[in-house]
Amino acid sequence: MNGLLGPMMVIVWKDLLLELRSKDIVVSIVVFGLLVVVVFNFALNNIPGRSEELAPGILWAAFAFSAILAMNRAFVRDQEQGGLEGLLISPVSRDAIFLGKALTSLIFMLLVEAVLLPVYAVMLDFSALSWYLILTIFLGTLGFAVVGTLFSAMAVQTRSREIMLPVLFFPVLLPVIIAAVEASARAVGGETFIGLGRWLPLIGVFDAIFLVICPWVFSFVVEE
Amino acid sequence: MLDLILLSTHLPSSNLPYLFAAFAVSWVILFGYLFYVNRRQHELRKEISRLQTILDQTPEE
Amino acid sequence: MASSQSMERSGGLQFPSLKTVLAVITGVMMLVDLYFIFMVAPTDAVLGHVQRVFYFHVPIAIMSFLAFFVVFIASLMYLFKRSPKWDAFAHASAEVGVIFVTLALITGIIWARPIWNTWWTWEPRLTTTLILWLIYVAYLMVRSYAPTQSKGAIYAAVVGIIGFVDVPIVYYSVVWWRSIHPSPVVGPFAKSDSLDGTMALILLYSFITFVFFFAYMVMERMELRTTEEALGRIRFALRRRGE
Repeated sequence: MNGLLGPMMVIVWKDLLLELRSKDIVVSIVVFGLLVVVVFNFALNNIPGRSEELAPGILWAAFAFSAILAMNRAFVRDQEQGGLEGLLISPVSRDAIFLGKALTSLIFMLLVEAVLLPVYAVMLDFSALSWYLILTIFLGTLGFAVVGTLFSAMAVQTRSREIMLPVLFFPVLLPVIIAAVEASARAVGGETFIGLGRWLPLIGVFDAIFLVICPWVFSFVVEE
Repeated sequence: MLDLILLSTHLPSSNLPYLFAAFAVSWVILFGYLFYVNRRQHELRKEISRLQTILDQTPEE
Repeated sequence: MASSQSMERSGGLQFPSLKTVLAVITGVMMLVDLYFIFMVAPTDAVLGHVQRVFYFHVPIAIMSFLAFFVVFIASLMYLFKRSPKWDAFAHASAEVGVIFVTLALITGIIWARPIWNTWWTWEPRLTTTLILWLIYVAYLMVRSYAPTQSKGAIYAAVVGIIGFVDVPIVYYSVVWWRSIHPSPVVGPFAKSDSLDGTMALILLYSFITFVFFFAYMVMERMELRTTEEALGRIRFALRRRGE
């Protein structure tokens, strides 16, 4: 396990530093997230009284679209500067590379969501002070990160990378989005863990399954 | 009561256009695809024999 | 190239190719199927003749799911064995699979309108079929947008595997979602699961017919791919001669 964690953390540290150094990336994704909420607010006709019904959906639509933006960038720099080849030649295991990249995306997205959540709570009029909401957001974003990193690694090498990631991402992550919206609605409504029903376990099972499969297929995606 | 209301809006005879449409679309798509595959097969084979004759005519390295 | 051509030239016993045999069998089965559907199947008491769409829609839908399973197995085999035959098989099955899913969706919509009085309903089977369609399309896109043929084969295999694992999860998430947000679809046969004996038999026969149809279409597509590769090789040889 030592051989996995060390290289993983190095990758995370390096990538995170690079991402956060240019703070305008974080800022632009946050702004995008806000724009999504505004657009959906009007598109869905979020009149007072309907907010409780619509808020979880708008929340996750914003998170999902922001996740696409965040993960489109996961491998772009490596692609352009050839950093990935260097990494592959080194004795770092493919799993470590994948998990490192996924963890970077996860932290990055959680940061963006942490900024956006209080703003959404105000705009959409709900209380974000629920541990179960936080847990749901964490597990959902983990699902985004794991599958998204794999698809990002593929998409970045294709001709139409900006469109390839969403086309791959959304159908596969639909169950996570469905479950996250349902769980969030309950969490915000004051439900406890039992009350969240099968939704959180569904996301958990999804994450577990793809945490096993995605690193494995990743080695095929990046082989030369 | 509800069944009666529903039956009156779903008179069997009025639905025949849908029946026709479903089968027609099925045939068009299934045979359209087979037709497309076969036509491409012919085009490619023509191209291959054309290139093969050119290949046979050009001198070997 | 075509085995039937070389057979004729050899002047010996002419065996029609497997493909031709399959085509004939499929054709006959389809004609018999149509006979069963329109002449033998009883008219539904409530829904009338339009119910016969069912004998096409259900087998096509089931076949499209089966096709995806075939793509899944072929993708796994390709990743392990790296033989181009497996890649060709996966590719052909996926492309024919898309045709079948598209047809399943279209016949499903045409079936839904008179039965449920709505064009679409987000119920588990229809929704999962739609997601299946989206994943197949992503599969084909990734193949054609990949930088090289071999990378395209690998990426597609990955999508074939991930997608297949995902489909049951999608199905159950929509089932659970629907149990909370029940469909406004009302009326008899909203579940459409009560079948009398003759109907079930014809449905089964129709399904077998479509299995043959699928197999035949995949064979045609694989043969096309062989031709495409042959063309590629000749073009390559010509280019090299020209240098």
